[in-house]
Amino acid sequence: MTNKPRVSAWQHYRILLGKDLRREFRTREMLTSMGIYTLLVLVIFGTALVQAAEKVDILQMSGGLFWALIVFTSLLGLNRSFAYEKEDGALEGVLLVPLDRSVIFLSKLTANLLFLLVIEVIAIPLFFVFFLSGLPLQPTLPLALGPLLVGTIGIAGIGTLLATITINTRGKDVLLALLFVPLIFPLLYACVSATTLAICASPALYDIYPAAMALAIGYDVVMILVSWLLYDFVVSA
Amino acid sequence: MDSQPSRLNALALPLVIVGGALVIVAFILVFTVTPLVSGEAATNGFLEINGQYITNKLLLSQKIFYFHMPAAVVSMLALLFTAIYGALFLKTRNSAYDLRARTATEISLVFVLMTMVTGLAWTRYDWGVWWTWEPRLTTYFILMLMVFGYFILRTAVSDPERRAVYSSVFGIIVFINVPICFMVTRLIPSSVHPVIFRTDSGLPPLMLIPLLIGVAGFGCIAFALYRQRLRTRQIEQRIETLKLHLDELSLEG
Amino acid sequence: MSEQATIVATDLTKVFGARRALDRVGFELPAGAFLSIFGPNGAGKTTLLRILSTLARPTSGNAQVLGFDLKEKPGDLRAHIGLISHKPLLYLDLSAEENLLLAARLYGVADPYERVGELLATVELTARRHDVVRTFSRGMTQRLAIARALVHDPQLVFLDEPYSGLDPRAVQIFDELLHKVRQKSQDGKPRSFCMVSHDMDKGLALATHLLILERGKVVLFARKEDVNPGEFARLYLNSVGMGVA
Repeated sequence: MTNKPRVSAWQHYRILLGKDLRREFRTREMLTSMGIYTLLVLVIFGTALVQAAEKVDILQMSGGLFWALIVFTSLLGLNRSFAYEKEDGALEGVLLVPLDRSVIFLSKLTANLLFLLVIEVIAIPLFFVFFLSGLPLQPTLPLALGPLLVGTIGIAGIGTLLATITINTRGKDVLLALLFVPLIFPLLYACVSATTLAICASPALYDIYPAAMALAIGYDVVMILVSWLLYDFVVSA
Repeated sequence: MDSQPSRLNALALPLVIVGGALVIVAFILVFTVTPLVSGEAATNGFLEINGQYITNKLLLSQKIFYFHMPAAVVSMLALLFTAIYGALFLKTRNSAYDLRARTATEISLVFVLMTMVTGLAWTRYDWGVWWTWEPRLTTYFILMLMVFGYFILRTAVSDPERRAVYSSVFGIIVFINVPICFMVTRLIPSSVHPVIFRTDSGLPPLMLIPLLIGVAGFGCIAFALYRQRLRTRQIEQRIETLKLHLDELSLEG
Repeated sequence: MSEQATIVATDLTKVFGARRALDRVGFELPAGAFLSIFGPNGAGKTTLLRILSTLARPTSGNAQVLGFDLKEKPGDLRAHIGLISHKPLLYLDLSAEENLLLAARLYGVADPYERVGELLATVELTARRHDVVRTFSRGMTQRLAIARALVHDPQLVFLDEPYSGLDPRAVQIFDELLHKVRQKSQDGKPRSFCMVSHDMDKGLALATHLLILERGKVVLFARKEDVNPGEFARLYLNSVGMGVA
């Protein structure tokens, strides 16, 4: 039996990631829908806050609001990210290839992470213009980028695992939300805390921010590791 | 593995009786020997929760704690079994483990609901509010949602093997997530209202003993319920198998 | 090595809960054979195909496929098998060429561009190579799916209801194509096929070996020459007809 040239896991990762990016570049399906959704959620937030004129309150609430935006938008994107894999059995085609199946997880995680980061790059300036313009910006504001990155990685990680599960279920959109939101809760809690502290330059910043970041990073490490280990079972089922 | 009825089934009835007796003992102890106040709580008298001042003297409603906490402990234990049986299922692909994981989660649901109800009663009567984002309460609320999610996930998958794989994986992740939830809510205080209140001051023996008896009693009851429920399921499955055999026989004959 | 059997299945069983999808299925298929699997709905045909193509695992029993142990070395086996399903296993928003290149790269085909060009010519899609698959007709998609399944020159090809949803013209093209790839194999080794189909005439015409499954059990496994056509028709109607009624 002739031995075919072996493809390394790294090459498989790059090929699969390239496929997702190329597909998205062509259809712009996820980015368009997530982008529009972001805008709509901002409009809803604006309407909800019409009567709350207190600028100080907005500053304190903005971290939480921003994370609510990220969670809603990511749910939309995660649902989409596996729809086209199932559409005509494409994922089955990938499963027939001799490759380490956790590579599928890592490539999908990376694709979802990149799409979410693109949306955040658009959402952050919009958010500032709509809600924070004219308010005093604290020098500690750049610290908010820490929880933003760590939180987005965690959302992409656990979200990719759950989206793989829910794509094969009835009522997949609602089910993804139901499984995703409680599981993401600790990460969300830590990230909202750290983000709010940074935006408000709260005196408690230096006490609590490191703890919140450590917990968020710990969550990412544990959850992504577990998802990576369990992914073969899920994607093969 | 389920073809022979387990000898553990015989334990179900005695365990219910023992468990019930233990809970009754705990109940009597709680209302007779256990003091109403403990340690530092007696000194200040008031506590600030989310901007509201609330009396801190332990009321009679504090007795709820002796049922609240054992229920919480038992629900976590049941969830541990969900995760263990889930892992065993993924390793062996034996549907008997999936049945056990599912049954354990059902028991967990019963005790999570009990924890939530007693918890709400406690916040209402002890702290004067229906709901507060207190670490343990929040963690249990999230836990309850995850257990609901487990069952909704099960009903949403039609292929039985796929259903078993998905729910095993989800069960494992839920079990890992719970301590993280607890740590996060516990270690990161709300920054806007920096109130930190903790009740981990160590319990005097007169409070601890009924608590432990309560845990043991609920544990016995949970195990008995689990065995009973599992047995019902196993019998159901055997009936299904027999029906299929009958079908086959009637067709061949 | 050259005289090695394509599939040696022993006691393949798939059980879950009360359901027994496969019950001690065993047979030996020689190299270069074309096996047609028949049976009523729910007889375990697709389960058998999924197990043999490493997409599912048996509860007990095992099989040597192309000399690879199904349980021990599914990864090595995957490099040598292909699947043509009723689903095309393609990304609809990628072009024909991109789909084939993706598969070729994943399998580590030595010269992907050359191989893909060759395959596109074989399935007569060279003119549409840059078009997105979503714009293709059912027949064209199925032709591309064949190319996708053959990109790594597999020695054993599984066919899962390949005719479902095809119009008569597409069926004709598919048959011609199947005939073509059946003759040709890159390294001169005989290519084997294993097909599940509801179409009895097609299954019989192509097959060298026949397998009838009923309730997860093998009712018949034989070389086509050894089977009396009348007797086969009777057996077929008996098991498959029963499922319909």
